[in-house]
Amino acid sequence: MKKLAIGLYATVTVALMIWGFYQAIYVAPTDAMQGEIFRIIFYHVPSASVAFLFFAISLLGSIGYLAYRHSHPEWAQVADAWALAGAEVGIVFCTVVLTTGPLWGRRAWGIWWTWDARLTTTLVLWLIYVSYLLLRRFAAGPQVQTLAAVLGIFGALDVPIVYMSNRWFRTQHPAPVFGGDSDSGFKDPLMLHAFGWNILAWFAWGILVLCFRYYVERRQQKIAANEAQEALDA
Amino acid sequence: MDTKAILDHQFVVAAYIVTWVILLGYLGLLLRRFRRVREEMKDLKRGE
Repeated sequence: MKKLAIGLYATVTVALMIWGFYQAIYVAPTDAMQGEIFRIIFYHVPSASVAFLFFAISLLGSIGYLAYRHSHPEWAQVADAWALAGAEVGIVFCTVVLTTGPLWGRRAWGIWWTWDARLTTTLVLWLIYVSYLLLRRFAAGPQVQTLAAVLGIFGALDVPIVYMSNRWFRTQHPAPVFGGDSDSGFKDPLMLHAFGWNILAWFAWGILVLCFRYYVERRQQKIAANEAQEALDA
Repeated sequence: MDTKAILDHQFVVAAYIVTWVILLGYLGLLLRRFRRVREEMKDLKRGE
């Protein structure tokens, strides 16, 4: 039953991705100001939204780990698995943001990169979470999870700064699609529909991958716990 | 189609391809890790 539900969800997700792609390329009209290059927004913005959500999950997981590591060790392990899964999958989506953005910038601005507030804070966010993964991969000892949780919390503090950067500062990055001034948002309903489908598809895909990563991490924790127990018994 | 539109289209295609290379590449890594963990879990159960 569980396998059937996962298979069904995965099928719906793939169908949504295909539908989102069709909407982005063939249905949404070409932007009058930017031309064809505008279509990158249908992959760029949903990726950023998913990355932000997953860094928030990582934040909650990190807080949960720190809160329960003494009183409920098993809950703390669950929280830690969510923290790691959120950070790792979030980095993947953040990498998409940092590669599709410069491709758009090269055509729209004539440059691949500029050190404006939105781009710089996004790069810093990516670097913080890469350091989080490197810490977990290469550091050893009983304090690794605690140190990673602290770093995860500090990393998540950059998310609202990234989100607000093009509201707080004068940036070269385009104005917010939603929640900006009265001029923000899609003017054409077909563009809005295409964007909505892609947001839905990307969240569905992201959640699928996140849950898979969590599942793998929980099993790795069980193997590690078993190895530790065997070492104690020996 | 003028040159600008062709170049724009090529950049859009490049962005979409890069996106899927990143996403599917990560999924591939995750699947490999999953297979390794599954084997280790089997060994663990056999040991018990």
